[in-house]
Amino acid sequence: MSGGITIEFEELAKRFDMRVVFRSVSGRVGPGEVLAITGPNGSGKSTLVTILCGLVRATRGTVRYRAGSDGEIPRESWRDHLGIVAPAMSLYEELDALENLRFFALVRGVRDAEKRCRASLERVGLDPERKTQVRGFSTGMHQRLKIAQAILHDPEVLFLDEPGANLDPAGQGWLEELVGGQRRAGKTIVLATNDLREMEWGTSRVALSG
Amino acid sequence: MWRFLAEAGAVFVKDLRTELRTRVAFNALGLFAITTLAAISYTIGPYRIAQADRPYLLSALLWIVIFFAAMAGLDRSFVKEEDSHTAALLRLSARPLVVWGGKLLFNFVVLELLMVILVPLYVVLMGFQVLSVGGLIWILLAGGYTLAVTTTIVAAIIARASSRGALFSVLSLPLLLPLLIFVIQGTRAVAEGSAQGAGSALRAVVSLGGVMTIVSIVLFPAVWNE
Amino acid sequence: MSSRRSRGEVLKWILFVWIGVIIWAAFFYAPAAAGFKGQSSRIVFFHVPIAWVATLAFLVSCVASIRYLRTRSMADDVRAEVASSLGLLFAILATVTGSIFARIMWGSYWNWDPRETSITFLLLIYAAYFALRAAVADPERRASLAAVYSILAFVTVPFLVFVVPRIYWSLHPDTIINAQAKIKMGSRMFEVLMGSLVGFSGLFVWLYTVACRIERIRRRRQQEVL
Repeated sequence: MSGGITIEFEELAKRFDMRVVFRSVSGRVGPGEVLAITGPNGSGKSTLVTILCGLVRATRGTVRYRAGSDGEIPRESWRDHLGIVAPAMSLYEELDALENLRFFALVRGVRDAEKRCRASLERVGLDPERKTQVRGFSTGMHQRLKIAQAILHDPEVLFLDEPGANLDPAGQGWLEELVGGQRRAGKTIVLATNDLREMEWGTSRVALSG
Repeated sequence: MWRFLAEAGAVFVKDLRTELRTRVAFNALGLFAITTLAAISYTIGPYRIAQADRPYLLSALLWIVIFFAAMAGLDRSFVKEEDSHTAALLRLSARPLVVWGGKLLFNFVVLELLMVILVPLYVVLMGFQVLSVGGLIWILLAGGYTLAVTTTIVAAIIARASSRGALFSVLSLPLLLPLLIFVIQGTRAVAEGSAQGAGSALRAVVSLGGVMTIVSIVLFPAVWNE
Repeated sequence: MSSRRSRGEVLKWILFVWIGVIIWAAFFYAPAAAGFKGQSSRIVFFHVPIAWVATLAFLVSCVASIRYLRTRSMADDVRAEVASSLGLLFAILATVTGSIFARIMWGSYWNWDPRETSITFLLLIYAAYFALRAAVADPERRASLAAVYSILAFVTVPFLVFVVPRIYWSLHPDTIINAQAKIKMGSRMFEVLMGSLVGFSGLFVWLYTVACRIERIRRRRQQEVL
């Protein structure tokens, strides 16, 4: 494993057909750091996250992933290095928790898939033996499962878009522990949030204006 | 290669499992095929067509039923990913060609399942005499594959469109026109027991399927990642 | 710049005179071909070049689409869109002129002759292409999905043009370059036809450059509004 990944982005701008979301956003986040993206609703936090993880192209500006001394990682391979939790990204409702994770483990080619899936589920406090389809989950349980999916393959970069949404106080405490642990393990974390407590986890901050 | 197959297989199994639990595509294709078959069988029946016209007309009707049934449900695999907001995670987790391979396999299996039920029913209800049953199976397999590979890439395109409406059939049918002609000629040839006619139609279907496969492999990432 | 513009001015006038001469020659210089009803053969001087331009536009659109997928430059998307819209116009004209001829020669406007099938195919493709463009809101996504569709359509053309006519029998008069690679046409007729092909190709190039310019300005203005 390399010495972690640094993400640098410069003068990003995004325009959807008629609407300018943001004009010029720059920043950088390295291993063991948490970049907190804040801003009011509609200021483009989630859009910025989708651009940083490579799902959406920016109208202008550049994003770079650097892996220690190995240099730049091409855009097509970003996805091998990242895990993500976002409100607009769902899991498969017709599958149960374990089936969902097993699927993502298989398409990612994760080793020891079965063991990793179970460990991941237990880590977020879900019972691997429960055969309920995700559509029967409460929003909090769904959120926990999404987090389990994001950390399943132990990625070097973690995108957390409103990770604490719908979590109970116990869940939030456990999330804080998780983020702290990931940070100490040298992971690069991008956190989009409006929660004052979560903002404090940030080691640096990008504030978007509405 | 093995890794690709295992990953594509995972996408296929996932789609099949979801489909078995919701049955949206199965119902759409199956019900469409059965209602149309019932309508044809009721209005035309086995005896209204002159003996000489039967191989050709019955082949044409059979494939028209299959084609329109495909139009009713084969876009499902991609559209569902977008509509239920699962596409983003899939995009970030799986390689593009893995997704394409899995969906293609799914569409192919759905089509062949449809044919397994529809074709025997059609043969019985319409009194369709097929001299070379083996030839018919080859035509159904090759035609089903080419139909699946074409609809897979078109489904991927329309899933990315903001307003879909009848877009799937509007975009698919022109691309499927040559295939439709080939499979109808091929089915007619196997019904009449003409090995030569069946062979040339089969070659045309297979080469069309091959070309579509290659072009899809090249173009799919551009559609999926856009 | 000014010399380029004046050269364009001159070329425009040459084109105007050229097409004027062709129209005159089609009616007064070339003889009516034997074996055709009355003066009906004269439509060939317009029908064939129009059909040729419809095909040429399709080719241009496809090349521009491939370039777009490589360069991701909006100028290539403009080229693809403009070529397709001109292609649609000429495909409609070719269908109408062909249909008139078919009515006079064979007594019916339409009979699914292989050439009529291929022009219908072109029409369907163009219609589907614009339906797809209309259904996608994001400009970049619209450009790449349309480009992919255009290429998909292009690879099915050879099957329609070369394979289908082998299976079906055609009423259509022999094409200019027929199986025996011989020109079965009076020399005067041949001269006018070739002249007309050149003239219509020139007309296409002119329309294409003007329309590209207009479309680029239109898109730039749309962006300025934001």
